[in-house]
Formats: sequence, C-alpha cells, structure tokens
Amino acid sequence: MRSVLAIMGRNREAKIGAVIVAVFLLTAIVVGIATALGITVTPYGPVQTDTGPKLAPPSLSHLFGTDLLGRDVFSRIIVATPNDVSVGVGVVAFALVVGLIIGSIAALKGGLLDELLMRFTDVVFALPALVIAMVIAVALGPGVTNMMIALMIIWWPPHARLARGEALKVSHQNYIRSARLAGMGTWKIIFRHVIPNIFVIMLVYATLDVGTVILVYAGLSYLGLSVKPPAPDWGEMVSAFQDYLITAPWLPIVPGLIISIGVIGFSLLGDGIRDALEAG
Amino acid sequence: MSELLEIKTLTVRYRTKDGFVTALDSVSLGIGENEMLALVGESGCGKTTLGLSIVSLLPPASSEVVNGSVTYKGTNLLMLEEKRKKAYRGTEIAMIFQEPLTCLNPVYRVGDQMAEAIMVKRARKEGRGQMHGTVMQRVYDRRAPVDTRFLRRGHGLPAQLRDEIVEWLTLVRIGDPEQVLNRYPFELSGGMTQRVMIAMALSEEPSLLIADEPTTALDVTTQAQVLKLMAELMKRVNTSILLITHDLAVASQVADRVMVMYAGELAEVGEVHQLFAEPLHPYTKGLLGCVPTGTKDDSELAPIPGSIPDLRQLPLGCNFAPRCPYVFERCRSDRPHLFPREGGREVACFLYDE
Amino acid sequence: MRASSMMSDSPLLRTVDLRKYFPVRKGLSLLSKTAQKYVRAVDGISITIPEGKTLGVVGESGCGKTTLALTIAMLTPPTGGEVYFDGKRIDSGRVDHKSVYREMQVVFQDPDSSLDPHMTIGESIGEPLSGLLGYGGAEVRTALEESLVAVGMPVGFANRLPRQLSGGQKQRAAIARAISLHPKLVILDEPTSALDASVQAQILKLLVELQRKFQLSYLLITHNIAVAKYLSDTLAVMYAGKIVERGPTLSVIQRPRHPYTIALINSAPVPDPWKRNLLQMEIRGEVPSAINPPPGCRFNPRCPYAEGVCSVEDPPLLEIEASREVACHFVDKTAVQVKSE
Repeated sequence: MRSVLAIMGRNREAKIGAVIVAVFLLTAIVVGIATALGITVTPYGPVQTDTGPKLAPPSLSHLFGTDLLGRDVFSRIIVATPNDVSVGVGVVAFALVVGLIIGSIAALKGGLLDELLMRFTDVVFALPALVIAMVIAVALGPGVTNMMIALMIIWWPPHARLARGEALKVSHQNYIRSARLAGMGTWKIIFRHVIPNIFVIMLVYATLDVGTVILVYAGLSYLGLSVKPPAPDWGEMVSAFQDYLITAPWLPIVPGLIISIGVIGFSLLGDGIRDALEAG
Repeated sequence: MSELLEIKTLTVRYRTKDGFVTALDSVSLGIGENEMLALVGESGCGKTTLGLSIVSLLPPASSEVVNGSVTYKGTNLLMLEEKRKKAYRGTEIAMIFQEPLTCLNPVYRVGDQMAEAIMVKRARKEGRGQMHGTVMQRVYDRRAPVDTRFLRRGHGLPAQLRDEIVEWLTLVRIGDPEQVLNRYPFELSGGMTQRVMIAMALSEEPSLLIADEPTTALDVTTQAQVLKLMAELMKRVNTSILLITHDLAVASQVADRVMVMYAGELAEVGEVHQLFAEPLHPYTKGLLGCVPTGTKDDSELAPIPGSIPDLRQLPLGCNFAPRCPYVFERCRSDRPHLFPREGGREVACFLYDE
Repeated sequence: MRASSMMSDSPLLRTVDLRKYFPVRKGLSLLSKTAQKYVRAVDGISITIPEGKTLGVVGESGCGKTTLALTIAMLTPPTGGEVYFDGKRIDSGRVDHKSVYREMQVVFQDPDSSLDPHMTIGESIGEPLSGLLGYGGAEVRTALEESLVAVGMPVGFANRLPRQLSGGQKQRAAIARAISLHPKLVILDEPTSALDASVQAQILKLLVELQRKFQLSYLLITHNIAVAKYLSDTLAVMYAGKIVERGPTLSVIQRPRHPYTIALINSAPVPDPWKRNLLQMEIRGEVPSAINPPPGCRFNPRCPYAEGVCSVEDPPLLEIEASREVACHFVDKTAVQVKSE
C-alpha cells in the first residue's frame, strides 16, 4: 500500500485527481452533516430567493452568479454535491461488493453454479439503465435515493465479470491448492485468499466507474427523474437552464462543468492507482 | 585464430528506482570463427545483458552502455548509428531466444513470417551502404527488386522463395516442411517452433548466432535434438554460436569453450575439457559441486553456502569473496581481473595472480 | 512422536489402476455428433510407496505426472481406479480430507505462486497448523519456529512477505509449511525446477536431511533425471499417461530397458565433456498429445525397435527380473543397451 501511494505521489495527474476527489467527498460529507443538523454552511440558503439581482453574472458576492429567481448558484451547487457524490460512490460500492461475492463464488465453485450466476449476470447486464430508472421513478417515485436504487440494480454485472476473471486467475495459483491442503473450505478460501488478492484491481475499476455513474445519474436528473425543484441538483440545473445558454451562460455551464470535473477527478485517481500498481 | 567478435571492457548498467545497477562490469571476451562458446551463469549474472549488448537490443530507456567496445570483424558496433547497426542484425549476427512462441506473430502463417524475415534481411544486406528509405519501405516497395506482393493478403509465396524456405525447414529436420509452411505458430510444438527460429536466424548465413537459453523451455529429449542440430548446423553454415545457458551440463555437452560469469563479471574462461577436468575459479568448482550426479546414498552434494549477491549492493573486493572457501585478505579489498594462464585459460581470482 | 503404521509391510501409499481423463470441450456440444474426446492424462497407473522411501516419477511435459500428483492429493477427483493411503481408501468423495492432509502434504513447483503474496510466510506456514490441527496462537508459533529452523531459515523471517524473499527462500518456506505437521508423505512436484543451480543443490540436500530426520516418504515428480537419480530410491518412467518402466533407481538408470527410457537417459546432459552422449542419441518425433491416443503402444511412432504388434496392442507392465518392470513387446532387443557409468 505504502509503495502504491509513494508512486502516485510522483504522478501529477494522480495528485490532481486525488485532490478533486477529496474536495468533492469532503464537501458532500460536510453538507450532509450540516443538512442533518439544520445548519447552513453556504453564503446563502439554496432555495432562498432574491439574494441579489436576478440573472446576475458571477461576482464576488455571488461566485457563480444568480439564477432567474435570484438564488445564489454557488450555494445551490454546493448543497447539491451530496446527491451526485453519494449516488456515484454508493452505487459503485454496492456493485463492488456484489460483484466480488458473485464473481468469486462463480470462479471458485465452477460448474453449474458458475453457469447460473454468469447467465443471471448477463441478463441483468442487458437491462437498459434508462428504462429501469423510469420504471422505478414510476413505481417508487422520483428522487435521489430511488435513482440510486435503480442504478444499483443494474450496475454490478461488469464488476462481477471482472471479479470472476481475476478470481479465476487466482484460483489456479498454488497457494489456493495449499489452502485446501490446509483444510480450508471454499468460503474461507474466498475471504482469506481470493478477495484480498483481487480487491485492488476491483478498486481501480470501481474508482474509474464512479465518474461514469455520476454522469448517468446527472443524465437521469436532467430528465427530471430525480429531485424536483426547488431542491438543487446539478443535472436538473443543467436541464432547467439550458435555454439561458446565450443570455446567462453561467447558469447551465457551471453545473455541467462541475459534473465534468467530478468525473475527471475520479478518472484521474483511478488511472493513478492503476499506473502505480503496474509500476510497483 | 582471428577473432570474429571481440568485446573489450564492456560495462552496462540499468536504471532502476533504487538507482543504477551494474549488470556488466568491464567484461572482455573473444569469439573465434566456427566455434561454440558457452556463456554459463546463474540468474542475474549478466549473461543475457551481454547477448543483447552485442546486437544493441538493450531497452533504450532504462539501460546505458557506460564503457567498452564490441568489435565485429573489425568494426565497433557500439559506435555505429542505429541505421548501420540494423544492417548487421539478422544478417551478420542473429539471435534466438528462450520462448520461441513469443518470437512469432500468432496471426500470420509460419511460411509467410519466414519469407518476410528473409526479404528484410536481404534488403538490409543490399542497403548496407545506402541510407535512403527505410528497410521496410524497400521491402514493400512495388518497384522492389524481389516481388514482395506475397506479403499482402491473398497472395501466395513466389516459387523460388517457397523452395528456399522448404530447404531451410528440411535442414532443421522438420518433417513435412510443406505442411509446416502453411501452419500458424500455435499449431507447432515448442521444439518445432525453436527449429523454425533457428532456420530464420540462419537463413542469411550469419557469422555469429547468439542463442539465449534456447532449450531451457523445451523437454529433455527435444532439448537434445535441438542442441545436436545446432552443433551440426554450425559446421554446415560456417557460423559461430554464443550459447547462453544456466546449465553447466548442457555447456559441457556441446561447447568448445566455456565462460563462467558471476554477478556481472567473468570468473573463468577455458577450453571445455580443461575447464571441467581442472576448474580453477572457486565459483566454477562450487558450481560443479552443485550438480547432482549420483544418488543421495553414494554422493555428497556440496552446495555453495550463501546466495547470489544483490547487484545493488555488491561487496568491496571480489564479488564471490563472501561465499568463497579459499578467501584471504586481499580478496576483500581488491577486485581481481582476468589473469591469463596457459592454453588460453583465464581466471579472475587472486589465487592465480603471479 | 508418531506411532508407525500398523502393518509395517504394507506400503504407505498405493494406487491401483488410477485414471484421470479430462473431457475435451466440444464447440457447440449440443449440436455436435462426434464422440466425446478425452485427454487421458493418467491412464491406469499403479504405484506403491513404502514408508520412509522416495518414489521418483520422471517424464516430460504432457506425460501426466503433475496430474498424477494432484489426483493422489485429492485436489482433483479421479476418473477411475483406487488410491490407498495408510491403509485407507481416499479416492471417493466421502473421505475426510482433513485427516488425510494431516499426514500428506504437497510442495509445488513455482515458489512464486505457492505463497499468498498478501500474507506473511509465518501466516502461510501456520495455515495448516491451525486448519488441520486446530492449534491456537502460541502452539502455532512454536511449531512454526520449529519448522523454520528445520529448513534452515532464520526465525525472524516469519514476518516477511513473499516478495521480500528470494526464490530459494520461498521454496524453503513452502517446504516448512509442508513438514510443519510432520506428515508421513510429502508430494514434491518439480520442487527445484524454477531455481538456480546453487539453490537447487541446497534444497535437494535439505530434502534428504528432512527425510532422514522425520522418516518422510516422498513422491517426487520431475523431468530432471539427475534430480530423480539423487533423491529417489525407486524410479518410475512415465510416458503419455502410463508407466513404461520401473525399478530401483540405479538399476533403471544404468540399465534402462524401455526404448523411451533409453532415449530419456541419453538425452539428459551430464556435466562431462568426455561423455557426449547427447550428440550421439537419436530420437525422432515429439512428445505426443494425450487426446485419444492411437491403438497399441504409445511410444510406437517414435520407437526404433517398433514392429507389427506395437501398433496393435498396448504392452502391459511386466516384471522382467526381480523388481524391474518394463512395458514393451520387444524388451529383449534392449538387453544389450547398457549405459556405462
């Protein structure tokens, strides 16, 4: 672990990625706690109207300007952070765990169980994200949590496939045979030998994947399947203000830019971990 | 005997994350015409680096030739620019490696790859004096002196080239060469693939063939066949062979002269019968004592105590001193160079410094 | 101290006509009408290993020797035949693996893949101690130290990770793990093939010492004749899934009778430039593929003595003299082939 961090420390892109991710995570956590406690951490309340002139361009008092209702865009962006970040991290974390377990069992048990698990994975993989999201939105209603659920349902198959591939490689190593010769059962082998040895590769893929989830979630909220106004959400903001691209460009551009930065940050971090692994 | 290849004080180092590691330290040796020279040593001794240095195939980013010369037929190869070096590779000096399957492209047929190799080498030979156009351009040029259309999809090999290839495949004892021509590399066994590599390597009749562990990945019986083939072809094609191996026994079976390397330096050089009858360097003696020849009940294996030194932290003085049963004062402070003995033998050991 | 086996004249390990076949995957299996093909990796092997002795099984790649080792070690189920260990049958699915593994362990070829890269070697060595003997922390530590000392490794190495060790040290750790429970049988699958010459010598010497000290039996699998000669009491030569010759080590090596054994021994390089048998031997062809072998003797296509019956009938392994067995129709032809020592 230490050597991985050391190598990453020399990689400029990885450092940038790490910083971006840290900022996003920290913001999400702080805002999350603040909202639960009822404190405001932003210059203005996110739904507070008439904080200044309407449609004002970015200025010192309004870093990202104001929207058509006079709300401070900066405050709204900050407060919307937990949505995308929690969905991104939450969905991927779920996919990682489910993928690890399904993939490892399939690889180690083999035979019929392997076939069944993999065909099940294939079926879920074929389900389209958008359609599932809309079905959930209709069945359970829109919102951040429900969109997270929708994505969790369909996001894990590639992780399971990756886990199975890596677990298969590990399963042919002689230390797995030695573990059997030491009386270990399959489950114990999976948790003590397989998962620790495939975890880092899964983590790299997961980190890279967070960016993709954020993008997809932003797309869903752009389509109005997530929060309803006036609650702030990056994707929703892009959708609501796209008509203002010429007249008040900061309105649609800023949230779009923030989404992009988030995706880039996670990608750089994932790349950095992977490069460090390959070098080390 | 005129020296075909002469290496003088060659020093090569690699760049690693811990700094520089000297893989070859002032190595000097010579290879004559029509001789099989075995370069023997354990892992990390530098034998592969030596082989790659001769044909300038060291990884450019991480390696550095600090000092020394590699003189082939009078020309110092290290001083040439890359284009000129290419003229020698494959044509004058050929090389084969340990894992033959990784040397062939899996998506092209064996016959086509051999034909391409022959064409490229011919173009190199012809273009040795000229600089214009790259070799590959000349090979694929529509106006090229030999019709290379066959290298494009759908065309078969021209008859003359095909016959030549069949001849070579027969020479390397491949039964049914017409069949093998049309096969893909993965359809051949390890032994056959190595034979194909030998055929490709010898096709332009180089004066020197460097074989880096050519039989290590092969079965025992296949190894014997390939080694026997190499020894016979040496005379047919008038080539010298530099056989790089970790196996002393293999060296004793086919080589004319043997060079023993340890931790980046030459320890001993000598004619094969003399070296095995009377090994001089303590490491050579130790190495011979390591090879099991009898049973556990009737023989004593005498392993060399200790282990191969870390090249990043070589001891002061002789590299072998920490493990040497004959070590004395001077060994720990001074570095021995190769001391000449009679009969062309050389030993890098103070026991023999007169 | 262990009690010695009840019937001291019955062998520690015995296999009877052991078979292991692997089905070859058919592409579109449901649609294909061709018969199922099998790789006959182990095709009727009967061996015995007495207590405290070493049986060496030599052969080249694809002969099935590693599969034989894995089948005996219950790591893959046999297709047919029987395996008896310490008097009990161990080839059926209902065997108590743990009780067998307390007395039978394996050392694998590749020291890099034998140890989990994420565990210290102390943890790796301790695995069978806690898994099979139920040892707790302190007991594990004692036994662990004892085995490290037995294989000549500093006790402090227990806290190291595999990547901090050399190939030879890793192999010692693997051996330490195998002997830590004082088993009766250790299966050695090419234990020194991946090691340098000087390290190989150290490990071979260690294996002999351990055998004498703990009265171990070894099943040695190797392609290296010199190693087999050094370690084995009895030698069995394997070719294409079958044993073609067997007998006391020196007898087989000095007076090989099966044509394949002759070729194998003549191919093995000895470090003696005055005995260049390598350049004199003649053997045609390649090691065969083990899928649906042709009828008759498997070595027939490459054999210089082959005649009619060789391509029709597979020769059985017969005793030609006291404790010497050969599977060849024309074994008389090789009577004059004496390899002088």
